[in-house]
Parts: sequence; structure tokens; C-alpha cells
Amino acid sequence: MSDGGRESEREPEKPARQKRAGGDELARAASRLAVAQICESQGFQTFQHSALETLSDVAVRYIYDIGKTANFYANLSGRTECNAFDIIQGLEDLGLAQGFLGASDIEHCLANSGTVKELVQYVDEAEKIPFAYSLPQFPVAIDRKLTPSFLQIGEEPPGEHIPAWLPAFPDPSTYAPSSSRIERSTEPPTAKIDQESRNRKVERSLLNLHQRLACSGLEGPSVVNHGDATKAKQAVGSNPFLAAPLQFGEKEVSPVLLPAKVKLLNEATMRNPSMENHGRDNHVSVLEALAPDIEAMEIRLLDSEEKEKEGLLNSRPAVQFKIGIGRKSLGTMHDLSLQKKSFEVTSPWFGRENEKDDKKMRAEKILKESMGHTQELGHL
Amino acid sequence: MNHNQQPGDGTHEDDAALSDFLASLMDYTPTIPDELVEHYLAKSGFQCPDVRLIRLVAVATQKFVAEVATDALQQCKARQAAVVKDKRDKQQKDKRLILTMEDLSRALREYGVNVKHQEYFADSPSTGMDPASRDE
Repeated sequence: MSDGGRESEREPEKPARQKRAGGDELARAASRLAVAQICESQGFQTFQHSALETLSDVAVRYIYDIGKTANFYANLSGRTECNAFDIIQGLEDLGLAQGFLGASDIEHCLANSGTVKELVQYVDEAEKIPFAYSLPQFPVAIDRKLTPSFLQIGEEPPGEHIPAWLPAFPDPSTYAPSSSRIERSTEPPTAKIDQESRNRKVERSLLNLHQRLACSGLEGPSVVNHGDATKAKQAVGSNPFLAAPLQFGEKEVSPVLLPAKVKLLNEATMRNPSMENHGRDNHVSVLEALAPDIEAMEIRLLDSEEKEKEGLLNSRPAVQFKIGIGRKSLGTMHDLSLQKKSFEVTSPWFGRENEKDDKKMRAEKILKESMGHTQELGHL
Repeated sequence: MNHNQQPGDGTHEDDAALSDFLASLMDYTPTIPDELVEHYLAKSGFQCPDVRLIRLVAVATQKFVAEVATDALQQCKARQAAVVKDKRDKQQKDKRLILTMEDLSRALREYGVNVKHQEYFADSPSTGMDPASRDE
């Protein structure tokens, strides 16, 4: 059956309309095709899409109604499966609008029904037009794999209130509170704590040592410093990543600062009796602290340079140094800061080292500056 | 199921005729494919594994559609006959037999189906729109 003149130009629209139709597209398309074939057999040459769709909808509805009424009559007779008489009864119901032979007789035999006779007549007369395409069986039923019941598994249900025919529970590991997960979440903290306590022990021993040394004042500070540095190296080497969070705010760490300063101050000047005050001064006024430190630092410059090479130079914001120092120092400081950045990762958590390094760097910088001055002077 | 008051001979003949007809449906292939009918019957709650009953429904549906189509064809021919008297030379296309919504709705009305042609659905030559605007 050829398409109507105007309809052929609408062909591109068709797919879009079909897509909107939903999940029943195949059945709808097949019914349209079948209805078009029947119309063609009746003598139509072309069709409007809307008319064809309407007619195919009506045909589908007709099938549906036959099925519904037949099912209704089957259920009325106490059956679930329909037989031919249910269908004939349904056909008679649907044909009541037009009327059929013997419809007036309420008690007529269904085998003798006028609708059946009409059907027989139609089948005899009508030409056989098979459907143009071979349709697959649809809709395709996908075999769902159901969860086996307790009975099928041969397992006892966990509770008495659960009947055996119910689907079995999944693997307990899928729903039970998993112990492994809790372990995983708790493990790192414990490890951290262990590491922390170990570090603290090391620190405490160091602190004791420093205090003893500071009290006795017998040994030279350089030795202490050296021992401290090696110990720090060890601690950092044991676990540099876990050591990082201990940097500041730890109560055990802050007293450790004191002997370091004491030691530094010891080597620098013994004039100030209150060491804590002096330490605070060191914090606040850089330039003031610098003056006495330089002398001592000059001595230890070589030592500190070695440490830089070892990678123990540490982070303190370089901005501090910009305050009181001239332009020339900035260039040198920049180099130092770069160097420091590269070393920041290795030993971030030793506050004492930081301050010492600061002082060292300050001294170093001033030295370099002065050397530069001398060089410049020499050039001049 | 059998409520007949008729003599036994007639009943037997009718039964034989019905079973013959159902048996003949085994060889008959209706235009409406079995799968389609089965699909929609299953949707309606109909349960029967018998192919003959599926075919019976298919044949009944085919007959229904054919009757509607025949009625629509008669409407179409009658309308064309009326139009051709006035404007014989208007359009060549009118001589073709087109299944239109107008004819179909008229035919379906006799079968208890009320179908109204969509007023603004530009699907019919009689919608009164400019043909040029519709041809695209």
C-alpha cells in the first residue's frame, strides 16, 4: 500500500513520533502494518498516517477487549484458561452493537452462534494475505535468576520466624558489620599514637640530657648540638611522614624549646640570668637577638653549613628577615629560602632545630653580606 | 456452557461445524500475526496455549478491521463521487482511494467508536491550510 501524497513528505517526522511512543513500539508498528495490509486488500490505495494509526489502535483495542471478555467469561465459569466458547461469547458481546444472526435468541447455542457463522463465511471468502514480515516471539522474556530459597540451598533459616521458602540471606560478609573496616579505620591512629609516644620518649630523653648538660654546664654546646642533630636525623629517618603532625601545639614539645635556647644562649652569652625572658626576646626582636648571636654563630658557621648539606635545614618563613635588613640581603635570602624549601619535607617537626637554624641562617646571611661588602669594597 | 433447547442432531452438527472451523484455522494464516495477537491477549489477562483460539481472535479482528475498512472505502467513494461532480479537474490525486480520518471516523461511528478528527492536525487536505506551508 503506497503512502499518501502529502504523507510521504512527512516521513522524516515518523521516527521521532515513534520514539515517544514508549515500550510498545514493535507491537504498534506490527499492528499498523497488518492493518495497512487489510486496508489494501479492501481496495484502499493510500492512507493518512493519522487514520492508519487510529484504525490500528482500534484493532489493538478490539483484540484486547476480546481477551478481556473471554477471560471474564472463563473466570465466571470458574476457569483460568479460556476456551473457544469464552471467545465466542466475547465476540458476541462485542458484536452486539452491529447485531448478528440469532442475537435476539438469548438461549441460543454458542456453537451455533451467528458470529461464528459470519467468521466462517469471512474465512472462506477472504483472500489469504499473510503478514509481510516474520515477527519474532515478543516480548522477549528474560529468565530472571532468582535468589535460591533456604530450602533449595538446604540451609536452616537463621531465625524460627523465617520460613524456609523465603530467599536465603546473602553472604554474611555483605551485610554484617565488618570488623576489617573498623580495624582499618582505627589502625592508623594507633600507629600514630605509637609513633608519637616513641618520638616523645626520644624527645624526653633528649630533654633530660639537655637539662643535665645545661645544669652541669660542663660539656661544650657544640657536642650537644651535634648529638641532637644526629638523633633528630634518626627520628626523622624512622618515619618522616608520621612525624609531621607533631610540629606545634604539643605540650610536651614546648618545654623542649627551652633547653635548646638555653644551650644557644649559653654559648652566646651568660649575662642574662632569666633564660626564658631572653628566649622570648629572641622570638620578638630579631635584630636584638642577632647581635649577641653573631659571634657565636660565626664560630659554628662551618658546622651549620655541613648540616645544610645534610638536609637538616628547616622551615621558618623567610619574610621575617626582610624587616631590618638591606636590599642586598634579599638576594642571598632568596637563595637560602629556595634551599630551605627543598629541605622542608625532610624534617618538619623539630622546632628547636628551626630556631637554631634561623639563627644560623641569620648569622650566615650577615656573614655573606659582610663578605659581599668586603668583596665589593675589594672591587672598589 | 451449552444452554440450547434445540434437538440433539442440530447441536452435534453445530459442534462438528465449530470444531471443523477451528481445525481449519490451523492451516489459515491471518494477516494479523499470531505473535501480535498473543501479545495483546496476554496483556488483557487471556490465558490459553491453544493456537487455534489465537487464530480465532486474529480472524475475528481481521474481519472487524476489514469491515471498518470497507465502510470507510464506501464513504470515500461516496465523497469522491460528490466532489468530482463539482471540481472534476481540481486534483488528480483525489481519484486515488485514500484512507482518511473523515471516512474512518464515519465508519467507526457505526461500530460504536467515536473518533474525532483533530481540528488542528494538519493531516488532511480539508484542514484549509495553505498547501505550500504544509509541504515541507
